[in-house]
Amino acid sequence: MAGQSFTRRRIIALLALTSLILITLDLRDSGITTGLRDAFAVIFRPIESATRVVTNPIRNTWNGIVNYDDVAEENRRLKDLVARQEGAAIANIAGIREAQELLSLNGLPTLAGIESCTAQVVGSTPSNFSQTVEINRGRSCGIRVGMPVFNAAGLIGKITEVYNDRAVVMLITDPAYSLAVKVVNTPPTTTAAPGSDNTVESTTTSSTSTTSTTTTTIFIEGFEPGATVATSPPTAPPTLPDGRPVTPNTSPLTVPPGADLPLRETGALEGRGLNRLPIVRFIENQPRFGEIAVGSPVISAGGATSLAPPDIVVGTVSRIVNRSGTLGPILEVNVAANLENLNFVRILLYQPTTERVDQ
Amino acid sequence: MIERIVAVAENAYVRLFLVALVFLALQTTLLNEMRPFDVSLEIMILLAASAGLARGSEVGAIAGFMIGLMYDFVLTTPLGLGAAVFAIVGYLAGFVHSFVHEPTWWSRVILGAVASGIGMILMAGAIALVGTDGIFTTKVLTIALVVALFNALFSLPTERLCRWAMTKEKAVR
Repeated sequence: MAGQSFTRRRIIALLALTSLILITLDLRDSGITTGLRDAFAVIFRPIESATRVVTNPIRNTWNGIVNYDDVAEENRRLKDLVARQEGAAIANIAGIREAQELLSLNGLPTLAGIESCTAQVVGSTPSNFSQTVEINRGRSCGIRVGMPVFNAAGLIGKITEVYNDRAVVMLITDPAYSLAVKVVNTPPTTTAAPGSDNTVESTTTSSTSTTSTTTTTIFIEGFEPGATVATSPPTAPPTLPDGRPVTPNTSPLTVPPGADLPLRETGALEGRGLNRLPIVRFIENQPRFGEIAVGSPVISAGGATSLAPPDIVVGTVSRIVNRSGTLGPILEVNVAANLENLNFVRILLYQPTTERVDQ
Repeated sequence: MIERIVAVAENAYVRLFLVALVFLALQTTLLNEMRPFDVSLEIMILLAASAGLARGSEVGAIAGFMIGLMYDFVLTTPLGLGAAVFAIVGYLAGFVHSFVHEPTWWSRVILGAVASGIGMILMAGAIALVGTDGIFTTKVLTIALVVALFNALFSLPTERLCRWAMTKEKAVR
């Protein structure tokens, strides 16, 4: 009996120790655990593919029973949406091209300059505690760990595991996902009355905030904030020293409506798991940024250590949770991409510096 | 050559590995899409619990470790985390079952269901322990309940399968 108890204790100790070693190795991104996963994938993938084919009728039957009404309703809704979006898409493509030209003209990086790989989603996570999908492209396409993945609607996640012809994508709703983002907000409305003096002070009081802020607007003679064409005061035409009139420059001068440009504030997007919207933290409570409006777009911030290049659409602000003191608000984000019905996705072959493994 | 393959296949753990491969394939394909109450059904944990019910706590712990490790290979959770949790579930099922004076079919069903439910809560706790926030919520209780109820339905056939897979070599012949 004592010998049996000793054996049992030994087995338990051995299993616990093995688990601890494996967890430690995996959390430290050891090549051993990656190799083990790869080796297992070689054995398991053919069995999984065969099972997928065999169980397809059962899955279809289940989906037919459970989701038929939803699918029919969604199909009707999508047909309407496609009709509406077709016109808008053409206008947007033109706008995007202009923006890319402008960015490249100024030597700024654009998404168009980054190569990408298109893949199809072939499976989702079998677990209740992680939000991942599997795609049918892998290392052979140039995909590496950390690369951002998005579809036509916006960002959906990042690559976390890569095999030769498959890869696992962690969705942005996964609690382990975090990304630097920008919230684009419209500026606070200011009421400023131009006076005789060049400098006018005006006071703006937010309807919900208890603090009042003072903004100063400088008026330059001949320029009106927000005007697209400069206006010149009616004066006598200037003349040269010999008395001949100066030929006026008739080309219109465009004054950017600086006061109305959208303001951007950075924060960190964090996933919160199944059925919960991701949130944005660390938004500074700045009066200049104004009160964040529901529906404000959220886009990737970019930067040397960011998981994604700048200006990839993430979603829109769906709820704002204000916090007291200097703590900025927490924003709930409605993800632009429908993560429950993913099909074709695009992987930007952009590996963030934080995810690079030294060869 | 064939004799050697047959000899290897007669090993109880090799047979369990092959059964677990089929269960894992079902888990990642069929059960991946069948989500009653938005919960993914977990038959891998049922297999671990059933191994414990069929062959006792020690075998249950080893079998659970092996099944959990296989599950870890296809998940993004740290390798070894599921193995540790499933080993506890296998051990627990076998250990509690050894205290049942005259085991009946329904006592085994209840034990299989309870072990599965506890396993789900332990899994959430383990994931939270390695630093992932937002996992340990009230949703875990729903998951544990749904998984326990589903696994109760399949507890007896799975236990029978484990009993067959882990039969000693001579008995198979």
